[in-house]
Amino acid sequence: MKSQDEGKAASPKQATGRHPERRGNRLLLYTAFILATLYSLYPIVAVALDGMDLNLAALFAGNQLVYIAGVPFHQGAWTFNPIAYVDALTFNAFPARVTNSLIIGGIAVSTALVVGIPVSYALARVDIKGKSVVSFVLLALRTVSPFAVVVPLYIFFNQIGLWDTYPGVALAELLLVLTVVVWMVKGFFADIPKQIYEAASMSGASEGQIFRRVALPMVIQGIVITAIFGFILVWNEYLISVIMTGPFTKPVSVGVWSGLGATNKTPDFVELEAAGTLAFIPAAIVMLAIRKYLAKGFSLGAAK
Amino acid sequence: MEPTPERKKGVQAYWYLLLLPIFAVLSVVEFYPLAYGVYLSLTGPTGGLTLSNYSQMVADRNFWNSVAVSLTYSSFSTALAIVLGLGLTFLVTQEVKGRRIFEAIFILPMAAAPIMVGIVWGPAAVWDDFQTFSHFVLGLPYFQEVQILFYFPVMAFSEGWEWAPLMMLVSLSIMRSTPKEIYEAARLHGATSWQQFKMITVPAVLGSPVMQFVILLRFIDAMRAFEIPLSWSTWVGFETSVGSPVDTLSLYLYKLLFIPSFGFPLPMVSAIAVALLVVTLVSATIMMRLLGSIGR
Repeated sequence: MKSQDEGKAASPKQATGRHPERRGNRLLLYTAFILATLYSLYPIVAVALDGMDLNLAALFAGNQLVYIAGVPFHQGAWTFNPIAYVDALTFNAFPARVTNSLIIGGIAVSTALVVGIPVSYALARVDIKGKSVVSFVLLALRTVSPFAVVVPLYIFFNQIGLWDTYPGVALAELLLVLTVVVWMVKGFFADIPKQIYEAASMSGASEGQIFRRVALPMVIQGIVITAIFGFILVWNEYLISVIMTGPFTKPVSVGVWSGLGATNKTPDFVELEAAGTLAFIPAAIVMLAIRKYLAKGFSLGAAK
Repeated sequence: MEPTPERKKGVQAYWYLLLLPIFAVLSVVEFYPLAYGVYLSLTGPTGGLTLSNYSQMVADRNFWNSVAVSLTYSSFSTALAIVLGLGLTFLVTQEVKGRRIFEAIFILPMAAAPIMVGIVWGPAAVWDDFQTFSHFVLGLPYFQEVQILFYFPVMAFSEGWEWAPLMMLVSLSIMRSTPKEIYEAARLHGATSWQQFKMITVPAVLGSPVMQFVILLRFIDAMRAFEIPLSWSTWVGFETSVGSPVDTLSLYLYKLLFIPSFGFPLPMVSAIAVALLVVTLVSATIMMRLLGSIGR
């Protein structure tokens, strides 16, 4: 049911005049935008504020504590109390977790790049025998249950003293980042036109020289993006970390759930929320910075 | 100019050389643990080869419970991510001011760590405010968050919430490679933007092997979901019990290993993890096919 006349009347004044749309549709659209924004942002904002004891529920009800099925609900308290944030940032708790995450992510991503880039290059450039086997193994690793690899690894690393050490945790995280790195970088290599390789080959460059001097410099931006992307994956990862880390290497993601201190405990809910918000902010900034490449990263390079 | 056979051979060897480092690393951190896991799953309590761990798994009601939970959770959350993602795609492709900013806002849930998603959609965060609003403003009675009809859909929804932005980004990338003329033609025939979305964008996105690949990957990832169910096991009081409706496969295995009263049943956990490799092999095969049809 559309009214053409109304559409025509409205269209010349609008920037989007080509659409024969009614004003009511426009209103509906803006409502949808507001709702979608609330849906995306409200949970995160609510948690960030809850971490400071700023409970939005206070808008609707006075300050009271209600028990529903044994769970205490702050029925609102407009008492700004950033103690959880201050606690997290001082006493060296949060900074120590960040340091651990940075070191673990750094080792894992750089290892993945060093062993992965040559593979991406080979997969993107030539059809060698066994190429499909390599692809299959890497894809399979992307979908394997962490328990099939990480639990035996946990026992193995315990035996040789690598459990709760930076290299040990980082090696375990390769299960997460290796396939992603290989596939993402492969996509960047595949974007190089074939003629460039031919020209380099014609002018007498060896395969080694073509890789180092021609192909690698052309994908350096892609490699940086891949590294950042792989790092966020490790930053947000929980299951492998909680099995492979102890008091010494405990990273941010584990600290969010089991307390920022070295030993695990059930933290207060406000502490959880403050730590979760602090962990979310850098991840969100970095993700927005590379957002053009997120589809590529999460789809193993299938989406452009 | 054809390369001589020797040179060609040398070149071939060069490519295999590039695969060597990854093979070395994989051997230590993936293949060896996998093989060790298979060995553990085949070892009886007194040593020696046995299939008893597998028969124990097949007879385990809690195992089948978590298979059912994982399949339901994964189907629900993947379907939700697709629907929500397509909805966001529709919005950001409308010609409104500041749609780039909205696109950025809509991406944010994806930046939250899954454990954070378990916290933000938990009873004490979003639902606390929601309860107060519905009770004090709308005058409704409090709803029980510990009821399965509440928490299971919320769990699946929050998983969908986190990954809907990915579906949006992939849809947008597919739309960019759809010829613009199709939309032009539809517009000239008087199709509204909703009709264009329904009749052109949705079929193009869902029919694309890229989207199918991403959907499959998401489904597999949701099958391994751990953090959101872990947080909900705390919210609704299933921290130390197994066989509950929040026990996805990963959470069940985790509980078996880390709750002391289960006595660290490593062989059985290994048996389940190895049995799950079937899922891995099937999904990796389909993914290879899809990647082949994408030409990547």
